[in-house]
Amino acid sequence: MKKMVILVVLLTATMVVFGGGRAEQDAADAEMGALVPELTLRSSLPESNLVNYEMAQELSDELAKLGVTLNAQPTDFSVLLDVIYGEEMDYDAYTIGWSGRVERLDPDMFIYSINHSSNANPGGNNTSRYVNPEFDALADAQRSEMDIAARREYVWEAQRILAEDVPRITLYSRSNVQTYNHERFTGLENMSGEGLFNEWSPMVMEAIGERTVPVVASNVNITNLNPFGARSVYDWRNLRLIYDKLVRLSVDVEPTPWAATSWEVVDDTTIDVTLREGMNFHDGRPVTPEDVKFSYEAFMSLPDSYFAAFVQPIDSVELLGNNVIRFNMEYAYAPFITTTLTQIPILPKHIWEGIGDYTQYYNEHPVGSGPFEFVRFRNGEELVATKYEDYFHPVNIDGFVFKIYASPEGVLTDLELGVVDMVSYDLIPAHINQIKDNDGGRYSHLTITEAPDIGFFYIGMNNNRPPFNNKAFRVALSYLVDYDYALDVLLDGYGSRGGAGLVINAANEFWHNPEVPIHNTYNPERARQILAEAGFTWDSQGRMRMPLE
Amino acid sequence: MKKNSAGMHLTDSKRKPFVIGYIFRRLLIMVIMILLVSTMIFLLFRTMPGDPTASMVDPSIPQEARQALLERYGLHESLWTQYKIFMGDLLRFDFGTSYFYNRPVSRVIGDRLPATLILMLTAMLFAYIIGVFGGAWMAWKRGTRLESAGVAFSLVFRSAPTFWVGLMVIMLFAVRLGWFPAQGMRSTGYEGTTFGEIFLSLDFLRHLVLPALTAGLYFLATPTLIMRNSMLEVMSEDYIEMAHAKGLPERRVLYRHAARNALLPVVTAGALFVGAAIGGQVLIEVVFSWPGLGREIVQAVTRSDYPLAQGSFIILSTVVMVMNLIADVLYAFLDPRITY
Repeated sequence: MKKMVILVVLLTATMVVFGGGRAEQDAADAEMGALVPELTLRSSLPESNLVNYEMAQELSDELAKLGVTLNAQPTDFSVLLDVIYGEEMDYDAYTIGWSGRVERLDPDMFIYSINHSSNANPGGNNTSRYVNPEFDALADAQRSEMDIAARREYVWEAQRILAEDVPRITLYSRSNVQTYNHERFTGLENMSGEGLFNEWSPMVMEAIGERTVPVVASNVNITNLNPFGARSVYDWRNLRLIYDKLVRLSVDVEPTPWAATSWEVVDDTTIDVTLREGMNFHDGRPVTPEDVKFSYEAFMSLPDSYFAAFVQPIDSVELLGNNVIRFNMEYAYAPFITTTLTQIPILPKHIWEGIGDYTQYYNEHPVGSGPFEFVRFRNGEELVATKYEDYFHPVNIDGFVFKIYASPEGVLTDLELGVVDMVSYDLIPAHINQIKDNDGGRYSHLTITEAPDIGFFYIGMNNNRPPFNNKAFRVALSYLVDYDYALDVLLDGYGSRGGAGLVINAANEFWHNPEVPIHNTYNPERARQILAEAGFTWDSQGRMRMPLE
Repeated sequence: MKKNSAGMHLTDSKRKPFVIGYIFRRLLIMVIMILLVSTMIFLLFRTMPGDPTASMVDPSIPQEARQALLERYGLHESLWTQYKIFMGDLLRFDFGTSYFYNRPVSRVIGDRLPATLILMLTAMLFAYIIGVFGGAWMAWKRGTRLESAGVAFSLVFRSAPTFWVGLMVIMLFAVRLGWFPAQGMRSTGYEGTTFGEIFLSLDFLRHLVLPALTAGLYFLATPTLIMRNSMLEVMSEDYIEMAHAKGLPERRVLYRHAARNALLPVVTAGALFVGAAIGGQVLIEVVFSWPGLGREIVQAVTRSDYPLAQGSFIILSTVVMVMNLIADVLYAFLDPRITY
C-alpha cells in the first residue's frame, strides 16, 4: 500500500514537472508558424516502376529526419491518373513520367503543355498546377515563333525559369537500351525515343544472311489497326511503316521531305505543302492531294483521338492545284512541321469516306501508301508486313514481323535461340547485364545499343498546396533526392541524371539549355539551410513549421 | 444388398422423363443464377478504383476529349441506367464493345478462346489419363515405396509455382535440348488461316508440347489423389473381395471392377475443371507467350475494360454451371443408384 502511494506521488510529480515544461514549450511553439501538414506522396506500385517506388520511400525517410511526415503510398497507374487529372485536384505529390517519343523532341510538349497556366485546370497536363505569368509569356512566345533560332531563345529562357521555380523534381531518365542479332543484320541505329526498329531502320539496315525479313520482338500487344483508334504511340507506331506521312524526322531530328517534296511557310498562319507525284496506295490507286485533305480533316473532326493535339491549330485545309495543299492555321504554331506533318498518316479517301464513325471501324486490313504492305495481324501473336515494291524510296529488307511476347524473359529466350532478331522495347537492367555477361557465349551474336531518352520520371508537387506552394520548400526538397542512388544503383547506370525543374535534358541537344544551373545534388544539410533561410522553423518536438507570414 | 436393390428400379423407360424434368428445372435455376452473377459482376467492377478512361486514352489528350469518351461509352449515365442497358444487352447475348480494343467483346473472346481451350484440354487429357490410371495403380500398391513416390511426384508439381516449372521446362527442352520451341503458338510467319490449318498442324503441336506438359504436371495431383482415395474406399467393398475370390486376374479386378466404380468423384472434379480451364492458367500463358484468354482477362481487369471483363466472367461462370449440370447428369449414367 505504501509503495502504491509513493508510486502515485512520483508519477504525479513527474507529470507536473514535465507537463509544465510542455506547456511552456507549447507556448513557445505557438509563436511559430503553422505545422507543415502531413503529406501523401502517390508513388508507383513496385511491380510497375520499382525506381519510383524506391525513390518515394527514400524521400519519405529524408523528410522524416527534417520533421515532416510524408507517407509514400504506392498507387496503381490508372488510379494515379484518375487522381492527378481528377476534378477535385486532391493530392499533395506523386511520381510519374513522360515517355520520350520522337515528336516530344519538339519543346512544345515539355515547355508549354505541362507548365503553362492554361493547362493547370482539372484534367490539364500541368498537373503541378504551376502558375507563373512570366513563364507563360515565354511558353506562348516559343509556340508562335516561326524562326527557329528566335524560338530557341525563348525555350532556353523558359528552362531557366523552370530550374529556378522547380515546379517538379525530375528523378532520372531511362536509357533506351536495346539489342539485335549482328549475325543477321547490320547498320542498325538506336534512335532516342524510338529505339532500334524505328521508321528509318528498313532504309538503313542490311541483311547479312538468308533472313531478309527481320523478326522484331515486342512485349506490348498491338491493340488497334485503325489509326483513328490509336490511343498511344504503341498503337500507332506499328502502323507507321504501312501508312505514310508528309514529312519525316531524320535520325538527327531534322524535318525531312517525305510524301511531300517540299513545304513553304507563306506567313505565320499559312503553310503550303507540295505532295510527291506518282505515289500509289497498296491497292494500286494513286495518292492524291484529296487523300491528304481528307486525312487531315478526318483527324480534325475527332477531338478525342491520339492525334487531336497535333491538328488542333489547323483552321482549314485547301487544295491549290498542282499538288499543293494549303494549311490555314488558327494561330501561329511553330511545331506544325516537326510534330503535325510528321505524325498524321495519309489515308486512302476511297476506303474511309464511306465509313460513318471512323473510330468504331476495325480496319481488318489496313491499306496505306507506306514502304510496307500489311499482310496479317494475329492478336497476341504477330503483325506481318511485306515490302511494297512500288515505293519511291529504296528499302533494304523484304518485310518485317512484329512478334508479340507476354514477358521479357520469353524474348530473351528467343533471342538466344535465334527466333527473334531484335527487340523494340527497352531491356530491363537484369537482362542487359545477362547479355553483357554472356555466360557460356550464349549471347555472342547479340549487340547491345544504348540511346539516351528525352523522356523523364519525376516527383510532381501540387504547387497550390502548402508546403509545396513555397518555392524554397520545393528547392530544398530537390536536395533530399539522391540522384546518384536512382541512376547508379536502381538503374544500374542505364539512364541519365535528373534535377530540379529539368524537363528538356541533354539528349535533346538542340533545345536543351546547358547554361542553366540545376539543383541536382543530394545534400540534406543544404536543404535544411535553404529551409531555415526561408523562415521555416523547428519546434520543441523537432517538427517543421511553416514560415510566419 | 444395396447395389442390387438400387439396381432394381433401373428401368430406362421410367427414368428418362425424370432426367428431362430435372434438366429443365436445373436450366431454369441456372438462368436465374447467371442473372444474379451478372449483377454482382456489374457492381463489382463499378466499385473498383480507377477511371476506365485512364487506360483508354493517352494522358496528354484534353479533358473535353476524356469527357466525350465517357459519354460515348455511356459512363456518364447513372449506375441504374447503365445497369438497365447492360442487362438489356445481356438478354440479347450482346456483351458490348471492348473499350480497349474497340471491338465486340464476343470477337475478342472468340479470338483467344480456342488457344486456351486446346491448351487446357490437352493438359487435362494428359493429367486425367495419367491421373486415373496412376491413382488406381497407387491405391493397388498401397503401402509400398512406389505409392509414396507417386504421391510425392504429383504433389511436387502441384506445389511448385507453375511459372518456375515452365521456365525449367523451357530451359531443358527448348534451350538445352532444342527439341521444342520455347515461345508462342506457331512459328513466325506461319501461314495457316483455317482452324484445321492452324490447330492440326505439326508446327502447332510442337508448340503445344511444353505448355501442355507444364499445365498437365500441375493438374496431375487432383485426379491422381482423388482416384487413389476413392479406389481405397472401393477396394474395401465386398464385391472386390468376391472378384478376388473368383480368382480373376489382378489387372482385371483393378481396372474392370474397382476403377470403374471409383471414377465418380474424378468426373465431378473433371467437370468443374473444364469450367475453370476457360480462365486458363495465366502464369503458363505468360511464361510461354501463349495467346490465350487468361492473359486477356487479367489485362481487361487492370485496364478497367468493363465490357470485356464482364463478358469473360459471365462466360466463365456460365460454363462452370453448365459443366456442373453435365456432371450431375453423367452421374445418373455412371452410377445406377442415382435417380432424379
